[in-house]
Amino acid sequence: MTLDGVKRSDLATLAFTFFALGVTVSAAMVERGVSSGVTLAGAVFILSATSQLAHLAVTDAGGSEIVGVLSGSLVATRFGLMAMSLSTRYEGSTLERAAAAVVSFDPNVALAMQEKTPEAVRRTFWWAIGSMLFGWILGTGVGLSLGDVMGDGGAWGLDAVFPAALLAIIGGLLRRRDGMLAALVGAGLCLALLPIAPGGVPILASALGAIVAALWSRQ
Amino acid sequence: MSWAVVFFLTLGVAGQRLLGMFVAGPVLAKRPALRSVADLLPAAVVAAVILQLTVTTKGALTVDARLIGLAVAGVLVWRRAPLILVVLAAAAVTGLFRLLT
Repeated sequence: MTLDGVKRSDLATLAFTFFALGVTVSAAMVERGVSSGVTLAGAVFILSATSQLAHLAVTDAGGSEIVGVLSGSLVATRFGLMAMSLSTRYEGSTLERAAAAVVSFDPNVALAMQEKTPEAVRRTFWWAIGSMLFGWILGTGVGLSLGDVMGDGGAWGLDAVFPAALLAIIGGLLRRRDGMLAALVGAGLCLALLPIAPGGVPILASALGAIVAALWSRQ
Repeated sequence: MSWAVVFFLTLGVAGQRLLGMFVAGPVLAKRPALRSVADLLPAAVVAAVILQLTVTTKGALTVDARLIGLAVAGVLVWRRAPLILVVLAAAAVTGLFRLLT
């Protein structure tokens, strides 16, 4: 069953995936006493679950808000890369291209890039992001109400949810040898620095893992 | 998280997306070495975020049930399980382990 050339099952899976992510992130916010307004605004404007979780990781560890924002922005580098790949195939007015850039995620760009004509690229891109945002906002709403009911997330294993979701998000990169090396070096550096460096620094330092892995894969 | 954090994270994230579309696209595409570093950044940085979320409590190193939840998630991601299954299994295993110990 297709809808304008895009598989309906793909769109449903995207909506469901982002629903789960929305619940996860907003429940984490509620658990930390963040207000509903800020949580909702974060979901609508930041448009990067990874950035929100990275910010939480830094501030949970006692890092400053500035380092938290830096780390949150650093983990969103991949969205810049997604927009970069999309720029080669997406045709439209400057305003439309800017709108597409702001909602560039891994799944919608990956799906759109597989299309042959500029028309199909645009259609697939917007159908995919529509499904993702639908699930994301719905999930945020559910998380906002569930977060209160859940109370102490630890008892529900809620604190294990964020790392698991992040692991699934970078799953594709971990299947590549250079991706796995980057992850191992990044995590290793972070672990080594955790007991001695101020909060946030271990996360920022992990970026070196990408340089090490890139140098290794050039040989 | 506060309104200021939402504002600056929005700027940081949307700014990178716009840079990617209008600036990095033409420039970076010609430099494969830089591109591969940028390509690998999410793996390195997100892995560190995962580690910190799993083995620290308020900045101090701690080993607890979260590590078991992450191990289960790792196996499921490796077997290409859908995100919802990965997330629910990690939470269930971690919660159950706490209940039993």
